[in-house]
Amino acid sequence: MIPIYFAGIDLGSTMTKVVVVDESEKLLAYVVQHTGAEHRRLANRVMEEALSQAGITIDDITYIIATGYGRINVPFADKQITELTCHARGVSHFFPNVSLAIDIGGQDAKAMKIKNGKLIDFMMSDKCAAGTGRYLEVVAQTLGLSIEDLGPISLKSTHKVSISSICTIFAQQEVSNHLSAGVPLEDVVAGLHDAIAGRVARMARRLKVEPDVVFTGGVAKNTGVVRALEENLGCPVLVPSEPLLSGALGAALIARETALKAQAEGKPLQKVGRKLEEATFFKQDDGILSGN
Amino acid sequence: MSAATKQGFARVQELYQDRTQRIKELKEEGKKIIGYLCIYPVTEIMTALDLVPYRVLGDMREPITKADAYLPSVVCPFLRSCLDLGLKGKYEFLDGVVTSHICDVGSSLSGIWRYTVKTPFHYNIDTPHTTHDTSLNQIKGVLKAYQTAMENFAGKKITNAKLKKAIILHNEQRALARELYELKKQDPPLVSGAETLKIIKVIQSIPVVEGNALLREVISEARTRKNKPAKKNARLLVWGSILDDTPLIEMIESLDANVVIDDTCVGSRPFFDDVKITPDLIDGLAQHYLVDIKCPRTFRARDFYAVKKNYLEDLKTRFSYLSDYAREWKANGVILQSVRYCDTHGYEVPQVRDYLKEIDLPGIYLEHDYTVGGLAPLKTRVQGFLEIIE
Repeated sequence: MIPIYFAGIDLGSTMTKVVVVDESEKLLAYVVQHTGAEHRRLANRVMEEALSQAGITIDDITYIIATGYGRINVPFADKQITELTCHARGVSHFFPNVSLAIDIGGQDAKAMKIKNGKLIDFMMSDKCAAGTGRYLEVVAQTLGLSIEDLGPISLKSTHKVSISSICTIFAQQEVSNHLSAGVPLEDVVAGLHDAIAGRVARMARRLKVEPDVVFTGGVAKNTGVVRALEENLGCPVLVPSEPLLSGALGAALIARETALKAQAEGKPLQKVGRKLEEATFFKQDDGILSGN
Repeated sequence: MSAATKQGFARVQELYQDRTQRIKELKEEGKKIIGYLCIYPVTEIMTALDLVPYRVLGDMREPITKADAYLPSVVCPFLRSCLDLGLKGKYEFLDGVVTSHICDVGSSLSGIWRYTVKTPFHYNIDTPHTTHDTSLNQIKGVLKAYQTAMENFAGKKITNAKLKKAIILHNEQRALARELYELKKQDPPLVSGAETLKIIKVIQSIPVVEGNALLREVISEARTRKNKPAKKNARLLVWGSILDDTPLIEMIESLDANVVIDDTCVGSRPFFDDVKITPDLIDGLAQHYLVDIKCPRTFRARDFYAVKKNYLEDLKTRFSYLSDYAREWKANGVILQSVRYCDTHGYEVPQVRDYLKEIDLPGIYLEHDYTVGGLAPLKTRVQGFLEIIE
């Protein structure tokens, strides 16, 4: 029997993730790269890297689903599905008993209520950088730290400060004020993590917090935010070993299910013209700007 | 008569792109044009006096620059936009403006408009906010005073026959609008949500007689045209605050959904109940404008003390019409939407959500800031919602 493959690509505001799975849901390859201004256009390169890792070509892939903020502009995807549905599916793969998934990415924060592996409700915050990965990036830059350092530093804190502003710009001022008042760095960073966790926990509580709670997205790599989230939610928070992948993995798994379902029903699989090439922007008129 | 050469949907599109086109022709012919804000000013009285009612709307494609000096950025951006257009001279062709106590910001706007835009004639109808018998009595007096003011402005009296004729004309428009919505019961609907909004917006920008003729053309064209909306998975009910332009609806309909029914005021709200012809015509108008129009600006429970006793019964009294809409138009999901800072609709949202939960109809709440940008994050939410109800 010829092996068949499925792929998911998650174009986030900050990171692009590609996952390739086979018929038995086995993860064959994954790539995580910065999206950047160029890479949003060049998502095909990330895909090519994943393909070479798996040792296959684009034609070997039966079905490709794109998700994430940049999902519309993937010329080689067969279908677009929101990151909400894809995260829910990806997280359920790692943690079958998940009831609440929290994802904090570069641009937004989401809380997803999941039942039997399916998304049933969600909340999103996406109006500004407050309480997202970008917030931590900006503050880390102000402090002259790398983003990876924030978690370990905050875990040393004994008296975390309270950061009242979740606005990225004002929080920077508050950080400076605390530091000039002599507050130890670890207490300031712990305060920032608490501010993020508090904000997302308020959103999550509106969906009812029940175990298992799973935390994904780039910010889930920060051990300090994980601890702060556990404190704010009052329950353990599980983090997958590669928290960035849940969206792309979910997309790949849904691609697999869509293809197998079509096969079982004897229906043709709806594919769009698949071109492994650079995305061209603003050609598709999705009606938002035209007003007609 | 209008020199319009286009008909039906083409005429709607033409007037949608410049909705002042016809009204400016009429102005040149010597007609008096009366702007009205919101759907509470009684347009039948204007029509009876041969004045042309013209709905005052905002423009979400035009940045607000002049209104900031009078209405701060933390209040309803729709009303801010209306004032902004007024201050920029875009409502200069109006001979008068009639406002009503729609909400606090709306009533503030009324006074601000009077002193800053300086439209020659201005009248504010102090519509009560409850439907108690005392309120009903009050609005009858209020409407009689409004009638007198309009008569003085027009320099003539309204006869019973003229008012009755005007009510019949406006009721005819209501019936035609309902006929248009009937076409949306089919699957796929014969008229899209975005088209519906354009049609309603346009008929509120031309005299009622011309609006009725245009509605007839559109209805007949919709029945026979080939280029109709595609079949989609979701049939949605859109509830909420004013949407006077199409970007949000177009975004929803660019996904796997058709908007088949709405409960909004550039939509079904002004049209779904007729004005009853009563011996004293003001009685029928009072009943319609206070009790029958369903907008959260009026608290429509008749007995306040009964409300306190049973929340669910109260929800049923106030929102069961939404369940009727969903059933009749076979809607399988609801988009609750409100323009940012609309307290009137914002406070209603939790209760509407509770009611929808009670009748097991999935819904999602979106808040938008009355601009054409910033729809991408909302698109993810709507698409996520559609994936849930799929």
